[in-house]
Amino acid sequence: MSNLYPTIGLEIHAELLTKSKVFCTCSAEFGGEPNSRCCPVCSGMPGTLPVLNHTAVEYIIRAGYVTNCEISRFTKWDRKNYFYPDLPKAYQISQMPRPVCLNGWVDIVANGQEKRIRVNRIHLEEDAGKLVHDEATRSSLADYNRCGIPLIEMVTEPDFHSAEEVIAYVEKIKLLYKYAGICDCKMEQGSLRCDVNISLAPKDSKELGTRAELKNLNSTKAIARAIEYEIYRQTEIIESGQKVLQETRRFSDSTGETTALRSKEDAHDYRYFPDPDIPPIIFTEEELAEIKAKLPEMPEQRKARYMSEYGIAETDADNIINDKDICDFFEDAIKVYNKPKAVANFILGEFMRRINLGEMSMDSLKFTAKDLARLIELGDTDKINKNNYKTIFVEMIGTGKTPDEVCDELDLWVKDDTSAVEAVIDKLIADNPKPVEQYRAGEQKVFGFFMGQANKALKGQATPNTIKAILEQKLKG
Amino acid sequence: MDLKNITVKELRSKLDAKEIGAREAAALFLDEIKKNDDKVLSYITVTGDEAMKTADAAQKRIDAGDPAPLTGIPLALKDNLCTDGIRTTCSSRMLGDFVPPYSATAVEKLAAQDYVILGKVSMDEFAMGGSTQTSAFAKTKNPYDTERVPGGSSGGSAAAVAAGFCAAALGSDTGGSIRQPASFCGVTGLKPTYGRVSRYGLVAFASSLDQIGPIARTAEDCGIILNAIAGHDPKDATSKDVPFTDFNEKLGQSISGMRIAIPKEFYGDAVDEEVRTAVMNAAHEYEKMGAELVDCSISTLKYAVQAYYLISSAEAASNLSRYDGIKYGLRGEGHSFDEMIRDSRNRGFGAEVKRRILLGNYALSSGYYDAYYRKALALKQQIISEYNAVFENADVILTPTAPSVAYKIGVQDNDPVKMYTADICTVTVNIAGLPAINTTCGYDRDGMPIGMSIVGRRFDESTIIQTADAFEKTFSPVRCTL
Amino acid sequence: MDIATLDHICRLSKLNFTEEEQQKALAEMSDIIALMDTIKEYDITYDDTKDHNEIRYADLREDIPAPSFPTEKLQQNTSPRDNCYVVPKMME
Repeated sequence: MSNLYPTIGLEIHAELLTKSKVFCTCSAEFGGEPNSRCCPVCSGMPGTLPVLNHTAVEYIIRAGYVTNCEISRFTKWDRKNYFYPDLPKAYQISQMPRPVCLNGWVDIVANGQEKRIRVNRIHLEEDAGKLVHDEATRSSLADYNRCGIPLIEMVTEPDFHSAEEVIAYVEKIKLLYKYAGICDCKMEQGSLRCDVNISLAPKDSKELGTRAELKNLNSTKAIARAIEYEIYRQTEIIESGQKVLQETRRFSDSTGETTALRSKEDAHDYRYFPDPDIPPIIFTEEELAEIKAKLPEMPEQRKARYMSEYGIAETDADNIINDKDICDFFEDAIKVYNKPKAVANFILGEFMRRINLGEMSMDSLKFTAKDLARLIELGDTDKINKNNYKTIFVEMIGTGKTPDEVCDELDLWVKDDTSAVEAVIDKLIADNPKPVEQYRAGEQKVFGFFMGQANKALKGQATPNTIKAILEQKLKG
Repeated sequence: MDLKNITVKELRSKLDAKEIGAREAAALFLDEIKKNDDKVLSYITVTGDEAMKTADAAQKRIDAGDPAPLTGIPLALKDNLCTDGIRTTCSSRMLGDFVPPYSATAVEKLAAQDYVILGKVSMDEFAMGGSTQTSAFAKTKNPYDTERVPGGSSGGSAAAVAAGFCAAALGSDTGGSIRQPASFCGVTGLKPTYGRVSRYGLVAFASSLDQIGPIARTAEDCGIILNAIAGHDPKDATSKDVPFTDFNEKLGQSISGMRIAIPKEFYGDAVDEEVRTAVMNAAHEYEKMGAELVDCSISTLKYAVQAYYLISSAEAASNLSRYDGIKYGLRGEGHSFDEMIRDSRNRGFGAEVKRRILLGNYALSSGYYDAYYRKALALKQQIISEYNAVFENADVILTPTAPSVAYKIGVQDNDPVKMYTADICTVTVNIAGLPAINTTCGYDRDGMPIGMSIVGRRFDESTIIQTADAFEKTFSPVRCTL
Repeated sequence: MDIATLDHICRLSKLNFTEEEQQKALAEMSDIIALMDTIKEYDITYDDTKDHNEIRYADLREDIPAPSFPTEKLQQNTSPRDNCYVVPKMME
């Protein structure tokens, strides 16, 4: 067994959910026809100038606050100069010596252990365009729609020592950014991107090993696989007495391996210098306080509220907040039907079960939170029999119909017709003389058998209370 | 009617009095260009059709009795100001066929007044130079002596005004590019305060120094044009929202009691004696008008050219990186991106532009940044604080605009260091972001114009226009003949 | 400036020189840098917080999208394919 110990740092890029791009007024939406979301500014026409988006700055400050960073009172932008066809100005507007956020931390739980990860910095920059490679003509086609989408880059300290810790951190950041309302964190679409710096050294060594930078990690699964592969690869190299090269490597989802990117012939020298087109910004304490006050409610705050105000158990609260879409659905539902515990129980039960079964997903729900609230309310108020929740809910998932519509169509309303109930029970008693005797001899548990049979026969059209009352009366004889 | 030496103000009254129509005025200038610009080579593109079209629109507005100050005034634009649908070359092979899809804010503002566009005038390539001889298309000559340079980089603008090829022109000034050619061509040129005029649509040379400004026959005309183009622009974050009503508001006010600073470093041996004498004579003229001359010092002047070239070249190297042949401009050949982009740039850029790019990238590159670029930024702060100190005891500063009058074509072309040091009198003003105006204060023994610069406090263009105007009213200019 | 430095700077600048041009550029750049080197004698340090050219957070552009530019007009100075800019194939 190797005594080599991995040390890992992260760079997480997140596209901000602003309406317009960071330095021009083009739409910042994802996609679109090639070069349809462009203007002279973001396509690098001569004479054009960048004008910084107020909301992009607000959002990076939010990112700073939710990761416990210090916010610089004085911040400025720099040009990172390099030639690449997806970068029309041949420089990226970024931040070097004076980023907006510095020195933060985020607590994670990995392998049952709590751990604090230090954030070195977060800065605001512009995204680059996209290249499509055309083999037939040996050319590349550049689309600048993504040029100028606001991007924040968070750099952590090398505080990770396992893939599990990295995954826990990435998941935590996704959660924080989503709750802060600054990024949709869709790794598969590239709105959240992660680079991993990883090196190996003997566990007691004071110095870090030579690191490789892993790119193209578009899921948490890919991150875990890439880290595991890289630990294996670097271990092999070191143990065979060779040296790990400092290089950028690309992870392939299909092979599960990392390969070195063709090292650029130019030694990287980005010649950062302050962008003369963008004046530095100063913040007042009042402005920062206002941004902080405008922060949406974060998961920990919601959790605390659920526990103290709604009496929801901690693990249940955790399960609700851990998916922002579900949590928002819960919030919407209790706005319509203010019985948080009942709604939480349904969501944690049948609702999540159907998600886990892959029968529904939060991206494409056909029914609304109001519909769900109504369903629970119908059950709670004995308008329907709760035994029919499942049937109705499955219909809602599949058709998007409201619970009322489903009940109408399937005739699932509680009618509480006592004569119908009496007839069913009379027949049950007549058909089952032995259990009746048992009951009358004091065996209370057979009562359940009768309840079940009566429910089944009545198809939920009577409430359990009605059935129970009549059954008790009739069984007494 | 001869409009060759007419001022914007005079033409305004003739147009408004219907003594001349806008179309007729434009045609007279176009004729003059056709007849004589082959001797001067000031225009790269003459926009005859556009001139007539804009003249017609102007005439309508005049006939409606609602003319703006520049309605129907035929102007020339430096060829680094983007004009929607009109070729904008920056005098570079790189942009030889470039047709911008949008117009500069300053141009839009002129258009809002229904000015008449005569065409695009030459300049040093990407505004880098002081002679207009680095132009790939029109190596403009000085109308006072066509064997001499017109100065630069706005040499086309200054020569066109001096030769009567337009009523006035727009130029741009990064290190003296309005004032020095104005000086060499015996006209008035104003570099506004950094931030006074939007840079949106001005093809960038050095973003922290560039400013658009007018070149005209009088300080008053400069004020009229500045009134039109100045103001905050939401498209330029470095443009400032400093209110103004009329930059000519102080015209005619007495300058008695005004304190005029004479910084001794600008009057040293580096400046020709004839130039020094002419400027000092003007200073004494001001004294006669009741102004007070104040001695002062800008001790960092000896590092100013260096700071200027380091800052401007660093910014230029970055600004000019976008010329890769992909989106616009000369497209080179090559099997890889790298080969193609190098071929584009090798063929597209001239020698001086390449030198600046090399210097800029050198100053920014790893290991040199602190010694050069960062040091230049420190010098910039020092220069600003020295100017602030001077303005505590003075209202304006008076200096020569250039160390010499216009020199013969070919004399300095092969010595970059000599060319660079010739910018000594103008660059500090850009570094400090101050407004300055050049006006003619005399002629040398060969009859070549000598210019002086009046430098003002930030955003105090009114005072330097007032000061220049006061001298112009005492001075009889000798107009050139071709 | 030596040849190796010039070469490095040329690479950063995406410029090529023939040998002849290189010799000339080397001589010129050496002269220019000799002029620039005179600032080294001046002892002064830069403090970016003292430029006093900053703007206020409140002055930034409001986040309101505007219609983008017609693609055809934007690309009138090049020959696009499928509305994209065409470059020689990039190696990964």
